[in-house]
Amino acid sequence: MTNSFRTGVLILAAATFLSAVPAMSQQTSKLDEVLARGHLILGTGSTNAPWHFKSADDKLQGFDVDMGRIVAKALFGDPDKIEYVNQSSDARIPNITTDKVDLTCQFMTVTGERAQQVAFTIPYYREGVGLMLKEGGQYADYEALKAAGSSVTISVLQNVYAETMVHAALPEANVDQYDSVDLIYQALESGRADAAATDQSSLAWYMTQNPGRYKDAGYGWNPQTYACGVKRGDQDWLNFVNTALHEAMTGVEFDFYATSYKTWFGKELAPPQIGFPVEYK
Amino acid sequence: MMDFFAFLEQLWIARFVILNGLSVTVSISLLAIVFGSIAGVFVGLVLTYGSLPLRFVVRGYIDIVRGTPVLVLVLASYYVSSAVGFDLGPFAAGVLALAIFCSSHVGEIVRGGLQAIPIGQTEAAKAIGLTFSQTFANVLWPQALRQFLPTWVNTAAEMVKASTLLSVIGVAELLLRTQEIISRNFMSLQFYFFAGLLYFVVNFAIERFGKYVERKTAVPT
Repeated sequence: MTNSFRTGVLILAAATFLSAVPAMSQQTSKLDEVLARGHLILGTGSTNAPWHFKSADDKLQGFDVDMGRIVAKALFGDPDKIEYVNQSSDARIPNITTDKVDLTCQFMTVTGERAQQVAFTIPYYREGVGLMLKEGGQYADYEALKAAGSSVTISVLQNVYAETMVHAALPEANVDQYDSVDLIYQALESGRADAAATDQSSLAWYMTQNPGRYKDAGYGWNPQTYACGVKRGDQDWLNFVNTALHEAMTGVEFDFYATSYKTWFGKELAPPQIGFPVEYK
Repeated sequence: MMDFFAFLEQLWIARFVILNGLSVTVSISLLAIVFGSIAGVFVGLVLTYGSLPLRFVVRGYIDIVRGTPVLVLVLASYYVSSAVGFDLGPFAAGVLALAIFCSSHVGEIVRGGLQAIPIGQTEAAKAIGLTFSQTFANVLWPQALRQFLPTWVNTAAEMVKASTLLSVIGVAELLLRTQEIISRNFMSLQFYFFAGLLYFVVNFAIERFGKYVERKTAVPT
């Protein structure tokens, strides 16, 4: 046995031992805890359609809620075995780190800063800003809006970066800022604005609610990824949630995901191609 | 007019949700006022009659609580409770935070009311042979009560308004319920106005109740 070989064995043994210690203290993963408890504790909000909001009969619903239901179904074979923790956007990360929730799905944009505090799952949606036009209005699509230059007015939610955001897509457009989402829609409806710019999911929801009256201008920008979050340091649990979400977008639970997508965003999804896995394309 | 009927229809659909939110707001405020007032009376007594070290401790408590925004107290009672082991739900954590906040205010009000009574009253009570507890119950407390009732009513109304902050930790009180309804039907102005009206009604009722108690405890003329 050479000296360097012996050192190698020692290092290997030490590495195995050291990695075994945390592995042993990790024996009770959140996964086992949730299974033993018999229901999932999901953190989400209740005031943002179509992500998480209350139906007329006071039931929590939306795309975020459905992502949690997918995980609950993977856990218990029953998407309803969920205890909801109603939280504001500010509470998303603290509620994960203090164990108030097992999982948070609440249109959380993935950023480097947040990824230092919680572990993000795989993405389940990509958000972007879009433009909504009146059906049969003066401008047909994004190209027409852009060609019209400074004679178009865009209604947008009040924000520090609202002007910059609109000008990234329409450099010469006039920007009118409003206090709340219903007001930017009202501006479009009353003709004060030629198009409304906000999150594409919000636009899609509004268009689904008012069929035939509005249309998408067909341009999106400002991409951001939405993912669920779990507590850091529990790879088992993270893997489980990832697997559940992944199979909902590519495998056995695709119909669940696609139905939810159709309900909340009003679009049909093409089923994943059979044969070579879509992930490696 | 069309809009108004549309609002009434939405209001009808949401009637139970609003009532539910209102009952949460009322019960959380009531619990906070009751517990906060009981604790506050003790705080006030200690501040007026306690030994120096005890007064020092309670004075520290009051100054810290009164110098902290209610929102910070709410977040602290929700998150710190789980960090130290007893996991309070949003409702319990909310009651705790508001009760602590209430107790510090009531404590100061009680202290002020008691200290406003001239020392001659205590001396006179002593002269006719009353013990301290008799003096307190029959001479000092009834007078102090009249002093601090108006301010106490004001604090109670403050509690109702502070309860709106509990939506941050997910207590489904009236404001959060209203926001939930607005996120479904986009009628923000109408529903916020309606919620404001309900808050006014609750606080008006508290004020009337305060006036009633004031009349009952007034010195007969």
